[in-house]
Amino acid sequence: MITASHPRAEGGGLSGLLLVALPVALLIWLVLWPVLQAVVGTVYFPGKGFSLSSYAFFFTDAYSLRNLWLTLWVTALTSALRVAVAMPIALYLRFRSGSIAALVQSLALFPLFVPSVLVAYAFIRVLGPNGIVDTVLVALGLPKLPTPYLTPAGPIIGLVWERLPLTLLLLLSGLGRVSIASVDAARDLGAGGLTIFSRIILPRIQSSIIVALAFNVLGLFSAFTLPYLLGPASPEMMGPYMQRTFSDNADPLNATTQAVITFAFCAAFGLVYVRAIARGRRGPA
Amino acid sequence: MAQVRLSGIAKTFGKVTALDAMDLVIDDGELVCLLGPSGSGKSTLLRIIGGFETPSAGAIAIDGVDVTGLPPERRPTAMVFQSHALWSHMTVHGNIAFGLKLRRLPKSEIRDRVERVLDLVGLAGYGGRLPSQLSGGQQQRVALARSLVIEPKILLLDEPFASLDQHLRERLRDEVRDIQQRLGITAVFVTHGQDEALAISDRIVVLADGRMQQVGRPGEIYAEPKTAFVAGFIGAMNMLDGLLADGEIAASGLRLAAEGSGPARLAIRPEDIALSEPADGRAATVRRMIDFGAHVVIDSALADGTHLRIQTDKAIRVAPGERIGIRVDRWTVFTEDGEPRRYRSDTLRSFRDVRYA
Repeated sequence: MITASHPRAEGGGLSGLLLVALPVALLIWLVLWPVLQAVVGTVYFPGKGFSLSSYAFFFTDAYSLRNLWLTLWVTALTSALRVAVAMPIALYLRFRSGSIAALVQSLALFPLFVPSVLVAYAFIRVLGPNGIVDTVLVALGLPKLPTPYLTPAGPIIGLVWERLPLTLLLLLSGLGRVSIASVDAARDLGAGGLTIFSRIILPRIQSSIIVALAFNVLGLFSAFTLPYLLGPASPEMMGPYMQRTFSDNADPLNATTQAVITFAFCAAFGLVYVRAIARGRRGPA
Repeated sequence: MAQVRLSGIAKTFGKVTALDAMDLVIDDGELVCLLGPSGSGKSTLLRIIGGFETPSAGAIAIDGVDVTGLPPERRPTAMVFQSHALWSHMTVHGNIAFGLKLRRLPKSEIRDRVERVLDLVGLAGYGGRLPSQLSGGQQQRVALARSLVIEPKILLLDEPFASLDQHLRERLRDEVRDIQQRLGITAVFVTHGQDEALAISDRIVVLADGRMQQVGRPGEIYAEPKTAFVAGFIGAMNMLDGLLADGEIAASGLRLAAEGSGPARLAIRPEDIALSEPADGRAATVRRMIDFGAHVVIDSALADGTHLRIQTDKAIRVAPGERIGIRVDRWTVFTEDGEPRRYRSDTLRSFRDVRYA
């Protein structure tokens, strides 16, 4: 009698769990446990009991709210700009080949290999007061332009440039699922470039755009180096604000409260990311 | 009337010549197959007709109008792609109606035309489904419907059934031929399947290395190949390297009457060989027998070990290692610089009489 052997599902499941055990353990130890500690540390005070006073302070303090608002709109604008700048480059790289496309790809990915501090100082040298742009304008007998250095525009320009490659790679990954034949088919039926983009390409890379935006928001909301070096002193983004509250003001409770609030915003966008991934896995883009 | 005229079409990619100076006229209502191996330039030629590639030289005219510089969206053509290229986020109805919506037709007319074309391709009632809910064959039918619904003058099909299984491919190619004839539409069909080309074409254009090898009706291409390449590519063929001398061609121990001198290639179709008593220059050794049900193919070895395939009656049974005699009824001899010469055994006597008189 011939019998077929069946791999035991339980064994496969156990192997899978063992494979993820180490990263999950690290996640619990290095992320979830400190988060839990931070949350508990901001709402429970030994000997005094529960209190939401630090949160009440944050959400009633005008300066904290201005910082939160600045962080929110800088994050939103930078994310949108990154996608807006990366999209045409991604479309070009997806549907063109050759030496010029290779050059464009190299230039677009170059910021990936430049540390944030270098970006900041390069920015200051080029766009800062008496920087290269000013020097050129003066040499041409033109008036100097208002510098974006130490204004909200400073970190926005720096942050857009710094993380453009990541957005580009995410969009390229999504566009990889849009076949050239499907674009050709639309052209063949009479569609122009804008129609192809809005009705054929865009609906099929929605998940990738959401993922790119979510990744951007997660990185931007707690960005430190560029907002610290290029941004205004007041209001300031949450990253520098937290650092200053903790170090300069020696106020760990409020710094932790700011961190928990920042984490809550990031977690919300993290959920958007997880949902987008789940949606992408359920069906074709 | 929808006639396509290609005049001196050439295409180069860098230093590579994909197509070399092609002239071809495809008549109204004709179905022409571009047949060739991978890299022969058949898809490039189709894409040039569709406007997806610009020729490096030459001109294309459709109904006498030069369309060489026009993009695909401004040509009276529609293409069915090998990969179906359906838009997965749209329903079947959405896919088919896309071209009609671009033409800003009234909704009622769009609905009617989509329903009519779905009926034509045998998918009535499937309009609400997503492409992912259809089989490969159904998806290809939707792709065909999407192209037909805009009523193009020229239908271009780029290996549309390559990803389907043999049975479905045969059924769909018959359906496409039927629809093409019913609508009287001019069609250009790219395939690397010789059976497919022989089955549905009015004419076949055989391509190799970016050059047209032969243009003709399926039967003509099969029976009278003009080059050794066409002979070897279309249908099953035994191609043997031989030497012409003394009114004969000697190839792998096989000797057949033929004119000329010098090196040549001997082409014999398996069905043009019959079994007989072994004789000098007319014998082979059986390697194996393949039973196809309707007929039998004997894979045999000639004196120097060269394979010779023989197609014979299904009642024939031979054993591996058995020595068999062969009688060749028809053969063609190709020389480097001459027209192919065709011979038949029933005219051999007269030929030999003339040769040795």
